[in-house]
Amino acid sequence: MNNILLVALREYRQITRMRSFWLTLLILPVAFALAPLAQRFMEADEADRVMIVDQSGGAAGQALDQRLRLDEQRRVLNDLSRYVQRHKLRTDPRALWSQHDRWYSDAEVARFEAEGGLDAALRRIGPLVPAGTPDFDKPEPWVELVAPTPGLARLTGAPLQQRIDTLLRPEGEEARRIDYLVVIPADFATTGTIRLHTAGRPRAGVVTTIQDVLTRSLRERVLVENGVSPAVAAAASTVTPALLVSQPPPGGGAREALLVRSILPLAASYLLMMALMLSGSWMLQGTVEERSNKLLETVLAAVSPEELMYGKLIGTVGVGLTMIAVWIGCGVFAAYATQGAIADMIRPALAPLTSPGTIVAMIYFFVVGYVAISVFFLAVGAISDSMNDAQGYLMPIILLILLPITILIQGILDGGQGVGITVLTWVPVWTPFAVLARLGTGIPAWEVIGAGLLLAAFVVLQLVFLGRLFRASLLATGQKPGFGELMQRFRRQKA
Amino acid sequence: MEPGIALALDRVIKRFGEFTAVDDLSFAVREGEVFGFLGGNGAGKTTSLRMVLDIIRPTSGSISVLGRSPGRQNAPVLGFLPEERGLYRSMTALDTIVYFGRLKGMTTAAARTEGLALLDRFGLSANARSTMDKLSKGMAQKVQLATAVVNRPKLLILDEPFSGLDPVNQGLLEDEIRRASEGGATVVFSTHVMQHAERLCDRLLLLARGRKKFEGNLEEARALLPARLSVVARQSLADAPGVATATEGRDQGEGWREWTLALAPGVQPGSVLEHCSSRAIPLRRFEERRASLHDVFLQLVGPEEARA
Repeated sequence: MNNILLVALREYRQITRMRSFWLTLLILPVAFALAPLAQRFMEADEADRVMIVDQSGGAAGQALDQRLRLDEQRRVLNDLSRYVQRHKLRTDPRALWSQHDRWYSDAEVARFEAEGGLDAALRRIGPLVPAGTPDFDKPEPWVELVAPTPGLARLTGAPLQQRIDTLLRPEGEEARRIDYLVVIPADFATTGTIRLHTAGRPRAGVVTTIQDVLTRSLRERVLVENGVSPAVAAAASTVTPALLVSQPPPGGGAREALLVRSILPLAASYLLMMALMLSGSWMLQGTVEERSNKLLETVLAAVSPEELMYGKLIGTVGVGLTMIAVWIGCGVFAAYATQGAIADMIRPALAPLTSPGTIVAMIYFFVVGYVAISVFFLAVGAISDSMNDAQGYLMPIILLILLPITILIQGILDGGQGVGITVLTWVPVWTPFAVLARLGTGIPAWEVIGAGLLLAAFVVLQLVFLGRLFRASLLATGQKPGFGELMQRFRRQKA
Repeated sequence: MEPGIALALDRVIKRFGEFTAVDDLSFAVREGEVFGFLGGNGAGKTTSLRMVLDIIRPTSGSISVLGRSPGRQNAPVLGFLPEERGLYRSMTALDTIVYFGRLKGMTTAAARTEGLALLDRFGLSANARSTMDKLSKGMAQKVQLATAVVNRPKLLILDEPFSGLDPVNQGLLEDEIRRASEGGATVVFSTHVMQHAERLCDRLLLLARGRKKFEGNLEEARALLPARLSVVARQSLADAPGVATATEGRDQGEGWREWTLALAPGVQPGSVLEHCSSRAIPLRRFEERRASLHDVFLQLVGPEEARA
């Protein structure tokens, strides 16, 4: 076997036998697997109990009550739609639950409720569900509306406060507390003030909903008081635009959902960064070990510095690709194991992979980018006698590479059109990250090809200079090279 | 390449910037020889050996290794034990030997078979699966030696092989050098411990400050220094022909006295004995004190260099 491959294989085996490799490899899938559990732990295990006390005449309280009910029904309808989609049930295409991946308007949710809600829907769907298909799992309600106790709406001042305190902090183990108590005072129309009493810190979502509903109610009332008919006022307060986003994708045409399409390329960019930092560190550790353990001379008697260098690079790229493959494998397994629930989520994100050019570009920039950045780690390893030395050289390099990438990712999420993003695309150390991240938001083909060629030329140049540095530095132990010495090593063509 | 020459350096110079590490060095090692490369620290031994292995390149001059230029193409027939030793800490002893055997062009099976045989010979069979960081320093050095000889090299190069070895392992290494030589291999080793060279070398080369000071066999080296005699006689032998100096020693009683005679260059001890016999000069002791390689070394490189 070629010596380069032998070195690569040894490098690969050494890294994959490290405990830290396995820990790191498993942390990501385990974190993803535990995330839903963690989220469940973080969420309240019971629905929030909400009581609305309307002293202003009933309209505002009624609107809030209706909105909370609709939101709950909307969640049920969304889950039902996903259930129908996941199990490919041939339901009536006009039925709301047959229309996937869309936002249901208030009117549609109200229609769903008026037509009998979930029970009626399940009665219609039931005959179409094949044997062996799991039952629909109704989502746990987030909000439970509790009717106000009699006479509460008439209380004010200290008696009201006393009653509220009792509801929020009831005594006795069996007593169930109210989590949110919304008091809409009689002078709401004139003061525009309501009071929200909570048993703990209020959730932002609840506050926003209350704010939104009561703003509409207040606006409607003001319009009516200023001579607008109640029907027009009601329509004016609820009117909202239907916003559809269309933009050109990389290959032309129009597609929606910018963020969803960016998920996969951004994830590729992020995975490249993570795999690089990890496998690069392991390779660096191995190279420093070779120097500090004084075994380089033994190795160099049998392989040339160039063979050693290429072998290490190939071994490290192999480690990185293994990590990515395992992570992707875990994702695919999770998609199957959850009977498609995860696949439902990631399917829209796979849209960029419909183009073969995009797939080729992703693989090219991933692999070549991997080599380009690994070279820095190897160069640091070649001139460092200890991990302490190596950390000193590596820290500024990592910062230089990583800081713009965090800005880049934010820029892509904001639309990916900034000048800074274009600049990063053409600087070879950031090219792989920038192009990978931009593949989802749209990057012209000429820019992909141009940046790809520039990156290839950069890698060739890197390898030439790394070869010189490697040959000149490997046996120069005990000398910490200054800038001048480093430049000399880069220029030196033979040992 | 001259027939029968395993290694030849011709007018080799190696400079590092302004510093000349090896200066116009020429020598040849015959096939099957055990060749000693002697010199103090900084004499240019390691630099010369690294050039032979193509780890570094000479500034000028030419090198022939088994008839070929230095390079990795020679790895299958070379064995090398560096002065600074170390192996991959997380690799097992057997994997380490197999890895280096593979790098030298062996098949995995052949390297494995030879590796197991070597470990057995070195008393490390039970440690074949132990990682290097679990082995003692002595054990690790044996494994390192095994990596050097796993391919049964035609030319075995050992750089300061005895440094850091305990007496038991020094003996084992000497045995391995003899075994390799008896198997037909050429052995070149550098050392600054003259006793090893005296015991093992067929021929040797003495270096000082990168320049060759001597090349030849042990007898030729000794011949560079005047012979010395320890004699017990009743009278001074200062006037005997060929005696350069006669130093009076201890009184042995009854008129007998110890004398140390330094002979003039080229004079054989036998001629002094012949002179005493022909003159009926009674002798109680007549002993030749041969010059050691260390004496030759001191004489040739000077005490300053020898201490380096």
